[in-house]
Parts: sequence; C-alpha cells; structure tokens
Amino acid sequence: MNSSQTQGSAPKRLTAVMNFFWHVPRNILIIVLKLYRRVVSPMYGQVCRFFPSCSAYALEAVTVHGAVKGSWFAMRRIVRCHPWNSGGIDHVPAPVHVNWDDPSTVPLIVQLNHPHVFLAKQQETQSRNSA
Amino acid sequence: MGFFDTILFPFKWLVSWIMVQFHDGLTFLGLDAASGVTWTLAIIGLVLVIRAALIPVFVKQIKAQRGMQALQPDMKKLQAKYKGKTDQLSRQAMGQEQMALYKEHGTNPFSACLPMLIQMPFFFSLFQVLSGVAKANADNVGIGAMTHDQVVQFDEATIFGARLSDALLPSLQGGNLTVAIAFLSIIMILAMIASQFITQKQIMSKNMSEEAMQGPFMKQQKMMLYVLPLVFGIGGVNFPIGVLIYWTTTNLWTMGQQFFVIRRMPTPGSPAYREYQKRREAKGLPLLGASKKKTEEEPEVIPEVKGQRSQPQRKNRKKK
Repeated sequence: MNSSQTQGSAPKRLTAVMNFFWHVPRNILIIVLKLYRRVVSPMYGQVCRFFPSCSAYALEAVTVHGAVKGSWFAMRRIVRCHPWNSGGIDHVPAPVHVNWDDPSTVPLIVQLNHPHVFLAKQQETQSRNSA
Repeated sequence: MGFFDTILFPFKWLVSWIMVQFHDGLTFLGLDAASGVTWTLAIIGLVLVIRAALIPVFVKQIKAQRGMQALQPDMKKLQAKYKGKTDQLSRQAMGQEQMALYKEHGTNPFSACLPMLIQMPFFFSLFQVLSGVAKANADNVGIGAMTHDQVVQFDEATIFGARLSDALLPSLQGGNLTVAIAFLSIIMILAMIASQFITQKQIMSKNMSEEAMQGPFMKQQKMMLYVLPLVFGIGGVNFPIGVLIYWTTTNLWTMGQQFFVIRRMPTPGSPAYREYQKRREAKGLPLLGASKKKTEEEPEVIPEVKGQRSQPQRKNRKKK
C-alpha cells in the first residue's frame, strides 16, 4: 500500500485508484458485516460460543486478509460454531506482515479482538507518558 | 443462475418439498387441496419441522445453563477484577476471559451461530418460492419439488380472499390492492412485530443478569427493541403474506420457548432467577445454587488450573 510514496504524483494517483478498486470487494464486505453487527446481532443477543464472536471474527478476517481469504476463514469459523463444539478462544490466523507496535495504525476490530495485547500497549504508553 | 440462487437451490427444493408433503398429508386428511388454508397450514408445518429440528440445540443450551452454577465463584472473581472498567477494550478483555472460563469448565451458555444462520437460507428460500409462484405459473414451470400443477394451485389459493403470494406494497404499486390483502397483511405485520417485541422485552426485563444489564451492549439492545419493529414494519409491507405467516409462527415458537426458559431455567442473577428461587423456597425445595455447590465442590477443588489459567495468558500478552 505504501509503495506509491516513492514515485511522482501521477503514478501515485494511479496506484491509489488501483488500490481503491482492488479493495472494493473487501470494503463492501466490511460495510455489510458492520451493518450486520449493528442491526442483526442485537436482535439475537450473544449466541456465539467463541471469542471473538463469529461476526467479529469475520470482520477481522476480511479486514486483515481481504475478501476472498477472509470470507474463507469466516465460513470455516461459522461451520465450527455449532452446539457440540465447546467454543472458547479462537483468533483469526495472523497474516505474515503483522505490525501491532503502533495501535493507531491497527484497525479497531483487530484491537477489540485482541484486548489483552492492546490493553498492555495502552498501559505502556500511559506509564511512559507519566514518567 | 446467480451465486445466491445456486446456494439457495437445495434449500428451495427442501422447503417446497416439506410444504408439498404437508399439503398432501392435509389433503389426505380431507382438507380442500386448492384452499389457501391448506397451504397456510403447510407453511406452519414447515416452521414446525425447522424448529423441531432445532430442539436438540435448545436442549443443549438449557443443559449448559444448568452447568453455569458451577462456575459462579470463578465468574464472581472475574467480575470483581473488571469492576468499574467500562472502556471497550476492558469489556472485550473480560469477554475473552469469560470465554476461556466456559471452555475450562466445559460448559457454554450460548447456542452457537450455525443453528441461527442456517435458518436464514430457509427463510430466503420460502421468500423466493412464494414470490416466484406467480412467475412460475405464467412460465408454465414448477418450483423446486413443486410440480407446475401445484404451483398453479398454490398461486390461485386464497385465504380470507388474499393469495399467499400477495404483498401489501407490490399490490399497491401494481394497482391490484384489495381490502383483503391490506387487512391481512397489516394484521400479520402487527402480529409479527408484537411477537418479536414481547419476546425481546421478556428476555431483557426478566432473563438478564444484573451484570449483563449494566453491560456495554445494553444501551444498544434497548434501542434496537424499539428500532426493530420499525424495520420489520417497513420490511413487512414488501413481504408476501405467506412469509409473514412463516415469520409470525417462528416468532411465536421462540416466544413459547422463552417463556419456558424464564419459568424453568432462568439465567442466574436475573429477576426471573430470583422469582424461580422464591418459588422453590415456597415449595420447600432446596435452592438451586446451594444444592449444586455441595455436589460439585469436591471435583471443583482439584483445578489448580484456576491459578495457572490466567498466567499463560499474561505471558502471552507480554510476548505480543
């Protein structure tokens, strides 16, 4: 995504446009999932046997891995989420290029799905600021 | 065939097959094959089949609720740990630890996503079957397991003067809205909304623990309680009467199940639970929490895992 910074403004704009179209399917899915979490989820209350919940898992998977791979992960998770599975903690497989050092660059859903990691980060920055 | 049609095809076939079976059975029992009442009962039969197939899921959930007693002490500790921490990350962290706790105790109070999601394609298929009937009649074809003759019969069957495939808004736009369609649609939409609202209200006012009621999702859920009837009201004017019948019936089933749960196995810590304990006391039965503890204390002592459990998580946290 950041490769465009090295070139002039024309190719930069071109990559930005290409990036935009490349991410259209992913962004549509993100919107659909966010709507689902806003509108449909509250209707049922919590039903999911896992942390993060299936919809949170799907949102993270699609955000991090893109439309195709993300949907595949999400589908496999939903199939796993049946009453005879004991549930528990089940995170989205992390992509290879994961960089969680700066929370401001990490999508909110990823932060929410890994609360312990980012709570620790929060405390670190707090103690650094006070010191 | 589009992507969704391909996915829905087997469901559509199954939905129409179940309906045809009920229709044939009812006809065999002496009901008029061409009557809308027979087809309405066939739709209700479809709901009964789907919901009955989900009973094992429900029973599983009820049993898990009972198991919840055993982890109350651990749960109390967890709540104390996160007391007063209302920011989103802390709530999430608590949710995560809670899940770990369920896993550790081998009990989970939630019913899982798959059974809920699996009902959706059935609903969409029914929607497609009902809204496709008029077209299939005109095109001289069948739908799923329905033969063309049955499609014709279904299309022409009326209940109180309205066809099952009629919907309020499309009829209005098509200029063929009758009093029967309008009346029946509005009654069914109101029934659908009322059953949904009552169930939701019951859960929220009676069967939620105090922690859940003070939780971060409560505000949103309270808002949805009033927004959803609006959504369904707006959506409902587009639904064929047959779909409204399906939805209302399934809502009524949910309502019945919910009443049963509230009465017989309420969530620990909820108002319904306190009432339940009072009733037990009045009958001279031992209190549920007390009786469970004694039997389960002994195996419960063993897990030193409790101490260990939070440790690996902390290490994990620092590593990342």
